[in-house]
Amino acid sequence: MNEKKKGKISIVKILIYAFFVIMSVIYLAPLLWVFSVSFKTNGEIFTDPFALPESLFIDNYVFSWTAGKLGIAMMNSFFVCVITLLLSMFLGSTVSFAIGRMKWKLSGFVMVYFMMGMMIPVHCVLIPLFTRFAKVGLSNNLWGLILPYLTFSLPTTIFIMTGFFKSLPNELVESACIDGCSIYQIFAQICLPLSKTGLFVTGLMTFVANWNELLLAMVFISDDTKKTLPVSLSKFVGPYNTNYSQMFAAIVIAIVPTIIVYCAFSNQIVEGLTAGAVKG
Amino acid sequence: MEKLLRDKKAIAVFVLPAFILFTLILFVPICQSVYYSFCDYDALTSPKFVGLKNYQNLIVDDTMKIAVKNSLFFLIYSCVTQLVMGLILAGLLTNIEKGRNVFKNIIYLPCVLSSAALGLLWMFIFSPKLGINQILAKFGMQGPLWLMDIKGYITLPMWVIAFVALWQYVGQSMMLYMAQISGISKSLYEASYIDGCNKVKSFWHITLPLIKPMVGTAMSLNAIGSLKFFDLIFNMTEGGPNHKTEVLATHLYQQGFKYFKYGYASAIGTVLLILCLIMTFVINKLFQSENYEM
Repeated sequence: MNEKKKGKISIVKILIYAFFVIMSVIYLAPLLWVFSVSFKTNGEIFTDPFALPESLFIDNYVFSWTAGKLGIAMMNSFFVCVITLLLSMFLGSTVSFAIGRMKWKLSGFVMVYFMMGMMIPVHCVLIPLFTRFAKVGLSNNLWGLILPYLTFSLPTTIFIMTGFFKSLPNELVESACIDGCSIYQIFAQICLPLSKTGLFVTGLMTFVANWNELLLAMVFISDDTKKTLPVSLSKFVGPYNTNYSQMFAAIVIAIVPTIIVYCAFSNQIVEGLTAGAVKG
Repeated sequence: MEKLLRDKKAIAVFVLPAFILFTLILFVPICQSVYYSFCDYDALTSPKFVGLKNYQNLIVDDTMKIAVKNSLFFLIYSCVTQLVMGLILAGLLTNIEKGRNVFKNIIYLPCVLSSAALGLLWMFIFSPKLGINQILAKFGMQGPLWLMDIKGYITLPMWVIAFVALWQYVGQSMMLYMAQISGISKSLYEASYIDGCNKVKSFWHITLPLIKPMVGTAMSLNAIGSLKFFDLIFNMTEGGPNHKTEVLATHLYQQGFKYFKYGYASAIGTVLLILCLIMTFVINKLFQSENYEM
């Protein structure tokens, strides 16, 4: 009886594993395909799209990096994302500290005000921002991207960081108080270092989200030398391009940085995602 | 200590920069956008109040009808499929030990990749000359025109895009459910096995009720995400063929930044905003539940 049950369970287990192997194929095959095609010559693609490339044809990458302007775009994306990341960490953690640790009447209201940003799609502010930025010289300017990116990154950052600050033990703050720390010192030298994990996690989420953002970047930037990666990619891979292998190389260039970041920090990214949802 | 934590000046220093930024970049523009939606406003003129004219035009706009239909289809499809698939994946994954992390990370991977790039990739997969149709041709079958078919109430390209969206984002729902499931105490399951439950039954009677709040969270994330869906559609079909795959976001983009009808586009934006608020409200009401001790 016992043995029979064991046998039954292992069949179920095998089925589960088979299911996940199939799922993995569905998830990885498209990515592997794009890698393989990106190394082919344009002629090779149409003879058999699924064969492995005969030799590694690097020219595709060189062309899309330089002539396709993906190199410049990558620098722009990097600039925008890093600045946004630093600013949102700083502004987000100060607000979270005030909400999570300090005592004031309006803290609940301010929290709700910031959380509103999570429900509002960026499309709704597109037109007013576009016309306003054109007047103050922020359109076609990378800072014109940084400001809205920062604004839309703040809600998640504040949400997660407030949770972290609230979970810090009270005694720490108390003893720092007795030692004569000012409130700024308590924030910068005690609470912030203790919430490093939270900062790192929110930073990663901010970075990934802004790295992939397409709509705002497409609307606000028209100058080719200032475009970010998703925009340049969408422009390079379009109905007017007929060189397929170069387009595939461009797609690879666009997704490889996030794949690397993901492989290095997948656990932290997952933690950030769940921290953002569970703590609420 | 108390005095230190009630320091008004410090609170202002901490909160005001972000608060001002948030007000200027988010709150004021939203009010402006709602105001513009009642205005005749394009790239050359300044806003002029015309009342409900933009909304009246919206009602008779055929593309808007398609966009609303597609957006609602998308909303329902992604809420249902993400819930079902997410729960299945999470339920199965928590039952295996070896390889759990590997499978989890593989399925979550597309969530962090650029949907612009993935949209282009899937466009190639579904294009007639490359990809799936070539595989079908090897078996002597002729595949449909995946992204160009215009028959049916919900056209084939919409189903294709919805599938790709499920492929890309189901990892997120799965991850959220898994996090919640792993927080459930083992003793609850042990008790249920003693009472004669099998795994399926205990999933139904213990796991599901306990992760109900998370279902609400994941679903509202899905709902808002699917309403503001833009990148994949823009890069797979650009709303075509013949506007059949237009959704609210792409329609807004076309009207606002191709034809520069700012007032009209703002009206679409307002519809989108109201839909988002309604969905958040409805889902919160539906999944409001008492918190169980876990």
